[in-house]
Amino acid sequence: MLKKLLPPLIPFVVVTLALEWMVRAGVVAGYLVPAPSAVFRALLDNRDELAAAMAKTSAGALVGFSLSTLSGIVIAVLLSSSRAIQRSFYPYAVFFQTVPIIAIAPLLVIWFGYGMKTVIASAFIVSIFPVIANTLQGLLSTDPALRDLFRLYGASSTVTLVKLRFPAALPQILTGLRVASGLAVIGAIVGEFIGGAGLGSVVDVARTQQRVDKVFAAVLLASVLGLALFGLINLISALTLRRWHASEQETI
Amino acid sequence: MTRRCFCAACAAGTLFASCGKPTKTRLALNWKPDPQFGGFYAAPYEKQGLDVEILPGGAGTPTVQMIGAGTAEFGIVSADELVVARARGNDVVALFAVFQNCPQGIMAHASRHLISVGDVVKEGTLAIQRGLPYARILEKKYGFEHVKLVPSPGGDISAFLRDEKFAQQCFVMSEPLQARHSGANVTVFPVADIGYNPYTTVLATSGAQLKSDPKRAAAMVSAVREGWRAYLDDPKPTNTKMHDLNPSMDASVFAEVAEAQKPFIETAQLGVMTTERWTTLIGQLKELGDIPNAMPAQDCFRTV
Amino acid sequence: MSDGPMAIAERGVALRLEGVRRVFNNQLVVIEDFNLSIEAGEFLAVLGPSGCGKSTLLRMIARLSPPDAGRIATDPAVSQMAFVFQDAHLLPWRSVLDNAALPLELMGAGREERYSKTRTVLGQVGLADAEARYPSQLSGGMRMRVSLARALVTEPRLLLMDEPFAALDEITRFHLEVQLRELWKLRGMTVIFVTHSISEAAFLANRAIVLARRKGHIKLDRKLDLPVERDNSLRSDPRLGAEMNHLMAAMEEE
Repeated sequence: MLKKLLPPLIPFVVVTLALEWMVRAGVVAGYLVPAPSAVFRALLDNRDELAAAMAKTSAGALVGFSLSTLSGIVIAVLLSSSRAIQRSFYPYAVFFQTVPIIAIAPLLVIWFGYGMKTVIASAFIVSIFPVIANTLQGLLSTDPALRDLFRLYGASSTVTLVKLRFPAALPQILTGLRVASGLAVIGAIVGEFIGGAGLGSVVDVARTQQRVDKVFAAVLLASVLGLALFGLINLISALTLRRWHASEQETI
Repeated sequence: MTRRCFCAACAAGTLFASCGKPTKTRLALNWKPDPQFGGFYAAPYEKQGLDVEILPGGAGTPTVQMIGAGTAEFGIVSADELVVARARGNDVVALFAVFQNCPQGIMAHASRHLISVGDVVKEGTLAIQRGLPYARILEKKYGFEHVKLVPSPGGDISAFLRDEKFAQQCFVMSEPLQARHSGANVTVFPVADIGYNPYTTVLATSGAQLKSDPKRAAAMVSAVREGWRAYLDDPKPTNTKMHDLNPSMDASVFAEVAEAQKPFIETAQLGVMTTERWTTLIGQLKELGDIPNAMPAQDCFRTV
Repeated sequence: MSDGPMAIAERGVALRLEGVRRVFNNQLVVIEDFNLSIEAGEFLAVLGPSGCGKSTLLRMIARLSPPDAGRIATDPAVSQMAFVFQDAHLLPWRSVLDNAALPLELMGAGREERYSKTRTVLGQVGLADAEARYPSQLSGGMRMRVSLARALVTEPRLLLMDEPFAALDEITRFHLEVQLRELWKLRGMTVIFVTHSISEAAFLANRAIVLARRKGHIKLDRKLDLPVERDNSLRSDPRLGAEMNHLMAAMEEE
């Protein structure tokens, strides 16, 4: 465990100490970039408010991410079923990738009102495309010889999907989920800027009050949330791919 | 600082633009070009030896930080955010206050028949920037338990128009006018009525900038004062210029707002500020807990 | 289980190809007017240079791609044939047992039934102890044996093999060839074995055809004069060399 944690911890400690020194020595203005000690104090002083906000953002991000995982996989399965369908509808999936969420967030408020629904919608929109793209890629990359094998024994396309194409696509799907998890947090925060509540709201209010330390404290917690989701996907990946995929196995 | 003028005449004042090239200067606005900045767009900067680039802003433009970091030599801030910035160690100094009286307010649908601003928060939704001092003064005075708070839509009144129980923060001569144009009857509650009246749309600069180039600040203020006088007397040409930069507001609305804002701006000497007003503000902010200690009012502004 | 010729004929199928033609991209004629009769229980080796169409032929027999003209029929008609590819092509997320049992699973057999049948076949290929292992834990030779077991679980009457041992090292290949012959003798199915190795064709088959470079023309069709019982000692037997010479001559002439 220590072997895994130590390498990323060292640069973190070094940068934190360097930043602390720079602010104290006046090299960097404390009102532009807060000293790590100030951020830490802000975390402590506002822990109740930040904890509640983090719970809200987590809920929004998780629900949005779950929805984008489910819908994304279903959409990819549909797209993979025929070339015609793929050609007709895939460009619209790309739209989810390219639409700037900041621009459409106010529209989300019109449709979903102020509150959790807008946050979830925002998280969903921002995170769904990687799921679709990676799942589709995985489903289309099935070993042709294996597809022949399934055909040989008269397997229907549903059986082939469930027993061959989907399990084979799992590593690729999990890659998509890894990317989507972080995006879901970003989407939730943006949704909160416009729709209120959560860490996004804390950042917005603290910014108005010029409380940079609190802003950074909230941003830090948002990063922790993103990391936690990412870690969850990694755990799922390790458990499901452990026995058979090179990515989860120690090199011999 | 960047361009030294060796002309003796220049040492005395600001009227001789022929003394070398005009000084490049950046002025950062904290919103899109609209009548609240009219005087800045009308100001004769070249006459004062300045080559001013006006940087339009929008929601959340951090003008106090930009001044502190040197991204712009001058910026538009509100008096309360200037005090808070100083408390955080950012040496920002006010030079010219456009709005002698704070034009901020809360607007609500007239059909609700509300009498005072306290009635606004008895039910429905209020869109307001919670971090602003007057939001917290409202909270302290009336409590927000019965109203749903949402982020301010930043000048966009579409949510207001859709919902009768929706109230939002505004500039009293801006959003209400737009609402009336869209057919809504509104009641407006100025923030000043609850006793909170900071100078607004204040031209500020950094203490370092003032120290190193006091002449530039003086030149700036002279130009701006002249610009505001010109804009108050005849807003039309400048309105056209600003409307080109910000087509989101109707030209007719520009004209209306420019007219409606005059009472807030007109005073014997445009832009002047008093120690008393600053002291009051500082006291209010200390009471709110936004700043740890009261500071001398004289530190916050300079007459140049 | 008697190994007599009658018993073998009962467990294999005869195959007839008539006037078979296959064209790629509307231009390239890969197989032209191909005719062949294969007896039930025959072990046929198909030799030829790369690109001569031997794999295409096999796929058409397997009904994975249809001929553009002509017909291919088995007698009696079979619904099920088995195919072994050049690489083992196992499902990496399944154990050896579940991989080998796959055809039975796809055909709807229940767990008990398919596991017991599969275990029998795994025993026959020498993988009885490995049933719980995963493909990533197996050597190339072991994986090919799983592939072989998978092909045999349905007790096919026609076994099609497309250069299955080409990627393996020589010793493993020798072992698997012997094992394959044993299984063929035990079960008596018709085997069509595509290879580019003359020694392998000679060792395994009782009949060999050599295809020309283009259009799949048959240059040589020969019954091999070799004993029914074969083990590795045959490899140094002059009779094997003699047959190999015949095949080589046909392969070399243009």
